[in-house]
This record gives sequence, C-alpha cells and structure tokens, in this order.
Amino acid sequence: MSVETPERPIARAVAEGRMPGRVWMYANYHCNIQCTYCLTESGPKVTQRALSPETMIAVGEQAKELGFTDLGVTGGETFLMPHMPDTLARLADELPVVALTNGTLFSRRLLEKVEPLAERDVALQISLDRPDADVNDEMRAPDNFRKVVAAVPALVERGITVRIATTVESIEDNELDRLCALHRDLGVPDSEHIIRPIVRRGRADTENLGVTAVQSDLPAELTITDDGAFWGPFGPTVHDDRLDTDLLVTRTTLPLETPARALLGLLEGRPDGDDSALNIR
Amino acid sequence: MTTIERVELDQVPLLARPYFADGDPGPIVRALAQVPELLTVALPFIGAALAPSAIGFRAKEIVIVRTSALAGCRFCVETHAVVALDAGLSPAHVAALRTPGPVPDGLFGDPAEEALLGWVDVVGGGGPVSDEERAAILRHWDHHEIVELTTVVGATLMLNRFATALALPTSPDALERLEKEGLR
Repeated sequence: MSVETPERPIARAVAEGRMPGRVWMYANYHCNIQCTYCLTESGPKVTQRALSPETMIAVGEQAKELGFTDLGVTGGETFLMPHMPDTLARLADELPVVALTNGTLFSRRLLEKVEPLAERDVALQISLDRPDADVNDEMRAPDNFRKVVAAVPALVERGITVRIATTVESIEDNELDRLCALHRDLGVPDSEHIIRPIVRRGRADTENLGVTAVQSDLPAELTITDDGAFWGPFGPTVHDDRLDTDLLVTRTTLPLETPARALLGLLEGRPDGDDSALNIR
Repeated sequence: MTTIERVELDQVPLLARPYFADGDPGPIVRALAQVPELLTVALPFIGAALAPSAIGFRAKEIVIVRTSALAGCRFCVETHAVVALDAGLSPAHVAALRTPGPVPDGLFGDPAEEALLGWVDVVGGGGPVSDEERAAILRHWDHHEIVELTTVVGATLMLNRFATALALPTSPDALERLEKEGLR
C-alpha cells in the first residue's frame, strides 16, 4: 500500500527542474560605491529599502519548507547592513547561501565578524571585472581594485568560500587570461569564477551599456525585496530613481508561498523552449 | 493635484499583462495593476458583477449610474453615463439618474425599472432597508435578480470610493460624447 504524500507543487517543480531552486533577497538598495552599470542605481545617497533580518530569516525558513534549495542575498552593498554576518549565518542554518558584495568593506573588524561563516555553507561573491586597477575602477569606483585584491585572500585565509563575478560588455582573451591568473593567485579557483554580461537595465540603460534582456532571457529565480516579489534578481531594477515593475510578480512577499505559487503559474504558462540564451546569472 | 500612480504601459507587472493585451485598459485597471495579485482576483469579480449577465445591460447601467450619483463619484458617473447611452437609455434618462432625488413621473415608464430605481436609492443611500422596501422590489424582480442587482450596487460603491479617492481621470472620449449629448 502506498502512502499519499501531501502535494508540494513548488518542491516538485524545483526537483523536476521546472522552477529554479534559488530564492534571492535584496537586503538593501544603498551602497558605498556607485558602479556605472548598476541595475538598481545604488549609491550612498539612495533610499535603503532594506529587508529586516527577521524578514530575511522568515524568507529563508519558508523557502526551505516550500522545497527551494538555495538562497541568495544581494543589494546594494549587503555588508552596509550591520546585521549581515549574523543573518547570513542564520540563513545558512536553513539552506546554502551565496551573498553578493563589492568586497570593499572588509576591515579587520568585519573580517572577524564574518569568520564564523567559514563553518557554514556560505559563499561570498565579490565583483572583480578587470585585471588592471585603472580599467576596473573606471566602471566601479576609485580604489575598488586595491580593496578587492586585499579582501579576497584575507577571506580565503579564514576559510570562507569566495566567488569572483566578472560583469563586462566584452573582454579580450588576453585580459581574461590575466584576470583568471589574478583570481587564482588570490586563492579563488576557476570553478568559483563566473563571467556574465551587463544587463541593460537601471543605470546601465542610462549609460547605454549591456545587452537588452526580456523576461524569457532572465532566470526566474524568485526574488524578494522591500517592494515585492520579482521574476529574478534582474527584475527589481531602478531607473531614473523609480522602481521598475515590469518584472514584478506580487507585492505580497510573506507567506512566501504566495509569490512562489504566482511565479510557478507564470512559468507553467511559458511556451516550451522559451528560455534564456544570454548566460545571464 | 496629488495623484496616486497608475502603472505606465511599459511597466506592466507580469500577472497584469493579459489585461493590457489590447492596449490601455483604463485607469481602474492601471491603478489596480500596482498590486497584481489583487488585480487578478478583483477584475473577474468586477466583470461578473457589472457586465451584462442574467440581468440585462440596461438594468445594470441604471444601477451603476444611479449608485455612482448617490456616492458622488465623478469618474464613475461620467464614464458610465456613456455606457448607459450605449445600453439604450436616453439622455433624459441619464440626466435623471445622475440627479439624486425623485425621478420625473413616467420618465422610465416601466414599473420594474421604477422599482429598481427605488431599490438602488435605498441600498445605495445607506441605512436600514425596511420590509416594505424589500416587498416592493420583490413585486417586479425575482429573488436571484435582487441578489445580483444588490451585488451590483455594492461593487459599484466599492469602485466609487476607489475612483474618487484616487482621483481617476475620465477619458477625453467619454467627456466629448457627454458634451455632444448635452450631458456636461
């Protein structure tokens, strides 16, 4: 006699590969730097629009209950939020976590605070676009390169998993070879290096940079923000100081089942083969 | 004037897109689209309540225009005055519906429509509904029809407050038609 299990449509969709397993959270929108291609027009003077640590932990708990497999935390600069080291540790009690950071705030004090993350399933994804400081910093911020190449080995030495994300319009082979040599020198293997295109949304659109991406080009990873739930982390962009709503799924974020079911409904209505070809991740 | 934003046509949220497939769906939908999960449940209800059904087009528009006039909703009165004309009501009928208070004797000529107007004035005006008033409407309309017509009053009142609070604008086409019919 078989035992009936309760229906878990999200868990089944994730397990069958019909729905991405990761849930993203925009911890905040403000940032200590102001990158040329930033999707969210982040910078020091923008509104924080932060998720509280309690909300983030509730999202993590409910994501696990629903059957999601991974968590992502992005911003803004996530480590501008003083609670971030503790919150990441708590989220990792639920599911593996990747947290995005520009890598410029890792003072000795912050390094001490994040050290416990070495014991957890947490990876810090740090942006490094070019092997040369002047070219890298032109798109990001003055002194960005120096701070990143100091932070990465300091984190690696403490046993923290570091990924390098390179976001570019294009990159020459020679330049990429030197960038890869650099991240290996810093202690980050090739398996932890991703290269992705600039997406033409937010400030990148204002600056006329990157590839135009439509809904089907973007991964449908449920993304929770202070403004609602979106079709992926490339959804809740800001342009001319206004939130884009074209990839909004629901304003309701908790219970997480509400936006998760709505996103699944959208995915099930998508024609076969209508998925991304732009390697946007 | 302070206004509440309605979604721009290039910013339509994913769940709301089917409602924009034929272009600008109007200010009510564009406002509700700010909360797509609300839009997707509200619009089927509003459609079922206000569109022609077992109750005819003309009767529903009598209810909608009269209720909106009682609630003082400029947007709904102007918008539905045009729909009421399309439903076969004359400019004189529409003018009377738009003016709270007694309707000129014999203007509608149909005892069922006159009973309906009395019912709308009672239900839409607020306060208790007497046994005599229920008996009066029951002389001309069946139970299920009264349930539906009363739901139309309620749905219209909801939209009246929504449109008034959000200062929704009447379309230029509607205003032009009202001008032409001597209803502005």
